[in-house]
Amino acid sequence: MRRLALLFVAGLLGLGVAPALGAQPKTLDIGANQSVWFEEDHTVPMVAVSVSLPAGSAYDPPAKAGLAALAAYLFNEGAGNLNSTVYQDELARRAIQLNLSPDRDYFTLSFVTLSTNLKDAFRLVGLALQRPRFDGDAIARVRAQMLQSLQQEGEDPEAMASRRFYELFFAGHPYGHEVGGTAQGLGAITAADLKGFAKTHWVRGGVKIAVSGDTDSVTLTSLLKSAFGPLPATTPPAPPRVQRSSAPSLTTVAMAVPQSTAQFGLPGILRNDRDYLAGYVANYIVGGGDFSSRLTNEVREKRGLTYGISTSFGTFRGGGYIIGQVATKRESMSESLAVVRDVLRSYAQDGPTADEFADAKTYLTGSYPLAFSSNSGIAAQLNSFQRDGLPIEYVARRNSLINALTLDDVRRAARRLFNPARLTIVVAGAPPVAKKSGKPSKTATPR
Amino acid sequence: MIDRETACRCIFAALLMVASSAARAAPQKISQFALPNGMQVVVIPDHRAPVVTQMVWFRVGAMDDPQGLSGLAHFFEHMMFRGTKSVPGDQFARTLARNGGEDNAFTTQDYTAFYEQIARDRLKLAMDLEADRMAELDLSEPNVNTERDVVLEERRMRIDNSPQALAGEQVDAALFLSHPYGRPVIGWPGEVRRIGRAEAQDFYNHHYAPNNAILVIAGDVTVDQVRTDANATFGRVAARPLVPRVECAQPARLGETRLAVTDPNAKVAYFSRDYRVKSYAEAAPGQAEALDVLAGLLGGDSNSALYRRLVVEKKLATEVGASFDGDSRDDGKFSIYAIPAPGVSLEAVERASDEVIAKFVNSPPGAADLARVKTQLVASAIYQRDSQYALASAYGQALAIGLTVADVQSWPQRINAVTAQDVRGNAVSSLVRREAVTLFLTPGQK
Repeated sequence: MRRLALLFVAGLLGLGVAPALGAQPKTLDIGANQSVWFEEDHTVPMVAVSVSLPAGSAYDPPAKAGLAALAAYLFNEGAGNLNSTVYQDELARRAIQLNLSPDRDYFTLSFVTLSTNLKDAFRLVGLALQRPRFDGDAIARVRAQMLQSLQQEGEDPEAMASRRFYELFFAGHPYGHEVGGTAQGLGAITAADLKGFAKTHWVRGGVKIAVSGDTDSVTLTSLLKSAFGPLPATTPPAPPRVQRSSAPSLTTVAMAVPQSTAQFGLPGILRNDRDYLAGYVANYIVGGGDFSSRLTNEVREKRGLTYGISTSFGTFRGGGYIIGQVATKRESMSESLAVVRDVLRSYAQDGPTADEFADAKTYLTGSYPLAFSSNSGIAAQLNSFQRDGLPIEYVARRNSLINALTLDDVRRAARRLFNPARLTIVVAGAPPVAKKSGKPSKTATPR
Repeated sequence: MIDRETACRCIFAALLMVASSAARAAPQKISQFALPNGMQVVVIPDHRAPVVTQMVWFRVGAMDDPQGLSGLAHFFEHMMFRGTKSVPGDQFARTLARNGGEDNAFTTQDYTAFYEQIARDRLKLAMDLEADRMAELDLSEPNVNTERDVVLEERRMRIDNSPQALAGEQVDAALFLSHPYGRPVIGWPGEVRRIGRAEAQDFYNHHYAPNNAILVIAGDVTVDQVRTDANATFGRVAARPLVPRVECAQPARLGETRLAVTDPNAKVAYFSRDYRVKSYAEAAPGQAEALDVLAGLLGGDSNSALYRRLVVEKKLATEVGASFDGDSRDDGKFSIYAIPAPGVSLEAVERASDEVIAKFVNSPPGAADLARVKTQLVASAIYQRDSQYALASAYGQALAIGLTVADVQSWPQRINAVTAQDVRGNAVSSLVRREAVTLFLTPGQK
């Protein structure tokens, strides 16, 4: 029914211009070498804040893997003259929701608060940044929690595959260990290490701050200055560039689980590479778009081999990566990986079709405003652009940059990035049957 | 914690789920009306961004799976993406994506929901697509077989690969006795394999009709525009005779069930206790609200009694929590869990948990604790207004389980009205061992 009308509507809209973006953030000045973007909106009486400090796990000393994360998770475990219990009660009785997310380059702390409690929220966050306590009891408790979750990861093939994948893919680089560290590393960390790390990494230099919601520039600037002003003005150096040399490989982490997980990856490119956006679009078409990608179509929709297969196009400050994953029953892993290789091979060779490219453009530009529909979403999206080192003008320009790409740009990027001969693959679960010789296969024991 | 009651087509389920099951919206200008074919419509204007969220909720879920065919409702949710006569194959998702839309769906025991998020000028397109698949789905055999394999992979990922999820299925089976809530939403594998084209077609005919659906639109729209477009799209789908939902007995439990599971794939031990309790749809006024507050006091966060006692003071556990799932047509569930610290026995963790529970049974909570938890719950309703998806979910879910728009709107006031005596009274009446299943999950050889 209504077939003609429906297709007509769909076709028309497919050609339409991308919708307007609601958000128009502005920058605030709280001093040199800090980036603050602010979107003002008074509809809901709340404020969302996202702060990224150059304090990620890439700064962990080699023997103390997990230092950045342990410091991050201790953020709300006491500050100044407030012990852990009192500090957490101060947040909770005002319904300030704090989220601590250490990653490889940055430690992102975000919070939402009712606008009436904004001042207290910044007072408490400022106190934790300036005068963290790192009490022995809190260190022991949080360390025990991290060790336990490391142990529990041993149940999860996805976590095990991911851990091994990063070790191999970023071998010799500080990105190679998990953010949550290792049992040995966590065991070696002292209170002095934590204090030293906070002093050099919870700093004003290089901090990225995004705010959205029910406040104004004057109020916010003053609150930010009192929270961040007293911090050291030093800027930690960026993590080193990735010098990738690890050979393509297929590695198995043996686990007795009904369904195996494979992590597969390819070298990516830096955020400032001229092919970055073309690569981003190329990845969307082959594996980034949930239900419309080539990999989903071949592995899930046509063959029913998996519930989910996807690739992500990521960048760290020191290097880019493309990481995909697929989970399937143990006897189907070889077939699934063979399909992945075939899809990538033809994609690298021919690139996307003109239709795929057109659809990708209208999706990526058309869905962009969805990221700006809530205060929490806006703060997170803006902070992500800041971490990528983009100027605030990019928020408005982004869609026109995608629209300016040509099919040749994306084909070039596909050829450059999706060569299956360069795949690093880690399978957690039962070993897949080898399809061809020439692929070194190693077996690691679960750890 | 593992979400035991939801399975879906989505790939990143955890992020998209109705995470805020307990959080409800603060009063807003909500409009509600019905189409001539019986479809309910709720409109929640939010003009901050030029985008809109559409959700279509069907009052059918896993509890309506026929005997011997558990998993059918969830499987059918997947089939809704396999094409119609007018929009064949994967054109549903492709058309939305080409227009900048996101879409997904999820199934619980009580309902199945489908949603799209898209620019406001394309809402009519999203309505057209949803109305089309409500009217004339194409259920051909090859599609059914392939999608069943996908669902079995989903089950392996969510359940079979996870010792805690596997044990959790058995907890529910024990807790709800013969009630269908005791069957997993995603289905028992042997029964999922039995689902075929005919079963799917029957299910569609009996449950997927406008007179069994609720449309929720949140976003940059006007009520008049939604009314016009809904009539022009969903309004053209004919009402169908529905198979009445089966009312299932919830017989009194006569004693606690204790479940000891040993799993070689488990790497940490795990203790849980689940109490069968009255849901929001069943409870007397104030009861379920008191259980939401009690869950916050007992194990909502690191200020809660279980965390303070077991993790901070006695160092018996590394992780604890409590939650109340009261958003269901039939009985709800009040749950606590703990992961013992290394070297600590499950018995010791249970004993300490029972001491904490006993305090709430024996005396009312302190004023400061009560105020903190109520503030957090009421604030959650304000934070929920930040998200079209969360708002639309709150109203859709409420209507799908038999509550009203007014219930959603009055929730913060009802939470505020909970007294210390209410909390104690409901701890006494709800945290009853006879109504509970206690799980000890231990790593080791079977």
